[in-house]
Amino acid sequence: MHAILTLILNDLRVFFSQRSNLIGLFVMPVLFTLVLGWSLGRGDSGPSRLRVDLIDLDQTDMSARLIDELRAANDALLLCPLDNDADDICGLDGATSQQAGIVAPSNSEDEPLHRERAIERARQGRTRALIVVPEGYATALKTFQSVSIEYYSLSDPMVPDSILQSLQAVLQRVNSASMTTGVAGALLDNFVHATGLTVIDAETRNQFLGELYLRAQQKLTEQPASVRFITTNAEDANAGPENGFSQSVPGMGSMYVMFTVLGGMAALLRERRQWTLQRLITLPLARAQILGSKIGAYFVRGMIQYFIVFAVGAAVGMNFGRDPLALLTIMSAFVLCITALTFALAPWITSEGQANGVLLLLSLSLAPLGGAWWPLEIVPELMQTIGHLSPVAWAMDGFHDLIFFNGGFGDILPELGVLLGAAAVLFVIGIRSFKYE
Amino acid sequence: MQAMVQTQNLRKTYKHADGTSIEAVKGVDLEIHQGEIFSLLGPNGAGKTTTISMISGLLTPTTGDAVIGGYSITKQPLEAKRLMGFVPQEIALYPELSARQNLLFFGKMYAMGGKALNQRVDELLEFIDLADRQNNRIDTFSGGMKRRVNIAVGLLHRPQLIYMDEPTVGIDPQSRRRILDTVKQLRDEYGMTVLYTTHLMEEAQELSDRVGIMDHGAIIAMGTQGELTQQVGEEDRLEFTIGAQTVTDELIERIQNKATAVTRVLYNPPEQLSEEGSESTPARLIAFAKRGRTALPLIIQILDAAGIEIQSVAVREPDLEAVFLALTGRALRD
Repeated sequence: MHAILTLILNDLRVFFSQRSNLIGLFVMPVLFTLVLGWSLGRGDSGPSRLRVDLIDLDQTDMSARLIDELRAANDALLLCPLDNDADDICGLDGATSQQAGIVAPSNSEDEPLHRERAIERARQGRTRALIVVPEGYATALKTFQSVSIEYYSLSDPMVPDSILQSLQAVLQRVNSASMTTGVAGALLDNFVHATGLTVIDAETRNQFLGELYLRAQQKLTEQPASVRFITTNAEDANAGPENGFSQSVPGMGSMYVMFTVLGGMAALLRERRQWTLQRLITLPLARAQILGSKIGAYFVRGMIQYFIVFAVGAAVGMNFGRDPLALLTIMSAFVLCITALTFALAPWITSEGQANGVLLLLSLSLAPLGGAWWPLEIVPELMQTIGHLSPVAWAMDGFHDLIFFNGGFGDILPELGVLLGAAAVLFVIGIRSFKYE
Repeated sequence: MQAMVQTQNLRKTYKHADGTSIEAVKGVDLEIHQGEIFSLLGPNGAGKTTTISMISGLLTPTTGDAVIGGYSITKQPLEAKRLMGFVPQEIALYPELSARQNLLFFGKMYAMGGKALNQRVDELLEFIDLADRQNNRIDTFSGGMKRRVNIAVGLLHRPQLIYMDEPTVGIDPQSRRRILDTVKQLRDEYGMTVLYTTHLMEEAQELSDRVGIMDHGAIIAMGTQGELTQQVGEEDRLEFTIGAQTVTDELIERIQNKATAVTRVLYNPPEQLSEEGSESTPARLIAFAKRGRTALPLIIQILDAAGIEIQSVAVREPDLEAVFLALTGRALRD
């Protein structure tokens, strides 16, 4: 064991003594992780909540209730200008409003958030959406008339929109409560008409139906939400589904692990060419010790690569989920799988040029295919299935379980099984065909 | 004398993908005595490196075995390897590390450590005269300096036996001289057994107690230098480098008949012109004679009369080159 550790340490010393390796290990992964993280999300600057302009033209209790319901349905929503603060989190550039919507009484410097400006803000991407509650919303509900809530967004209609889904969930409750009240009113009227009795006067009837509406809505609210948004603490500026680092850190980490570990193919070739591997064989060492140390060295390099990229995530305040041990396990399984792939391919590689070609081909195809550059969820189902031919996809699934969904060890067992199974098969191939001579 | 290395029917066959095979070493039987320098002499491709690689445990023999200090290299490889040091033809060092780091690493691989290892590394750095450059990276060293560190690695654990595979390839004469002196010092001062491979007759002659001559994967002669030269008799060798004119069989016969001291004549015709039209290897005529200097004027006269242009003449006393030539009909450098 002492000999194996000495060999591993020597391999690492040789690896770190080459400047080009340091660039590949530190500079490039850190740079790409930051760039991709900031591109996919907001990184550590600015709010992670979904900024939505909301204009309430009705200004009634019922419209206020609708807004409360919307807030309750998705706590990641930052409703502007309602939620604006002293730091102008809504980006209104001084324009404020005391009430939802509008047209807040403003002084001469303040420009109210009127519909045109809100639409422009949505167009410019300064907000994710604009919701307009029309005037007469409450009256329409009370009289069971049709009413339209306006929704403006630039989001792709083919991509699920969490804000729209929240709004639809709330409106579904409103509709259900309204429907309940409407049906109850109709039954009451039918009953009065059929019996010819004047049970209640019109004012009492409307008061009764109003109460009924509120209770129905309350009951529906108490029921489990029809749409569930999984978010981390919305108050945490760096947490939540919109944080690009939750994608870029495991994604770039996995891709650069491939670069670093698969680079072992060229390193093994170089060791044969400079005869240091052959010299090891003439030393009083078992061949298993030599092979074990090479596997160990590439595994350690891969883990160092992951730690570097995850350290970037930690530096920008990324949330790693609740189970660090499970995170370490999925990292280890992936690195082991790629190490095994390196040893399975190495015997067939005859030149450094070929090794570098295979390295680039595999890394730059398996990484995006497996969802290292973007989440696999956004690609068609067929591509998701094909993507799972890549070990990166299984690692990313594991990372998503742990980071996005706050999962634990039990949640990543399938991914671990696949990665370790693949590693076992590849190691058998690699060890059987390893060239000592 | 006690045998340090014994090989029995050592054979190595390589199989190609197309199903054909090549026998690189064809059943070598060797016995190297303790405390001697034994040289394997032969041209490039003779099978010297393959033989030494099998004896050192780097290659697995197709058949046969080598016993090192009583341990079989195939059955007890670790015990056998502890007795030996290996200096490969290539510079088997980590170029990114310093001389000292390389020595410390390989020392640890021999289970050495702590103060003892540091002391040994200091000793060796002094021995190879590189103490002042010990912290410089290997890739900043000259070829000769790298060779010396390469040798030092093989000596780290004070082995009883050291294999040196063409350790003077590609270095300047001064470094070569230093290495040859080191090899002699290892035997004379430390009683080490040395197995030395070379394609240079001069090195084998200077260093060896005994020589094995290899060609086409087999040992074709083995013994002390005296024993080997006796095999070809006491003949001098007269080497003529001649022009492009063709030497006929009739002319060779005339030389043998008229110059009575001449026993044999070999003729190597010149190679074809290369594609670029540059000059090729000149033709050589080699005559073996009991009294070479007496036969020389007569041969020159015959060649001159035949219109053969003589470019140079050399008279050589019997040596290992002559032995190789006599045994194979080719010069070592061919």
